[in-house]
Amino acid sequence: MTDDPNKVWPTGLTIGEAEEIHSHIVDGTRIYGAISIVAHFLAYIYTPWLH
Amino acid sequence: MIYGRMWLVIKPGIGIPMGAVAIMGTSLAVHTCILTHTTWFPAFLQGGVKAQHAAVETGKVAAAPQPPIAVASAK
Repeated sequence: MTDDPNKVWPTGLTIGEAEEIHSHIVDGTRIYGAISIVAHFLAYIYTPWLH
Repeated sequence: MIYGRMWLVIKPGIGIPMGAVAIMGTSLAVHTCILTHTTWFPAFLQGGVKAQHAAVETGKVAAAPQPPIAVASAK
């Protein structure tokens, strides 16, 4: 895979643009994961789940 | 990070919705199974069960709802 930063790939993105999109996806996944951890912690406290 | 380069060959307009739908579908399936295979999850979602149990245990059962005045006094 070439590392030419100006090459436009078949999806119409450059390497920098693709990595920027990916960083936003990773951030969103972290936020989603944090919210789900809190939700499951509350579910563990207030329901018989896993007791 | 090498994984960001996947968007060079997968269009984000296709890949991101596919990933989101996969996550939502999996989550929905798991929670639906819990809802249909347990007794406490439907009761938890129904709400008010803990308050009813507490009232019964203490002998303080809530009074039955009264009919509207217009209906109660009508003859």
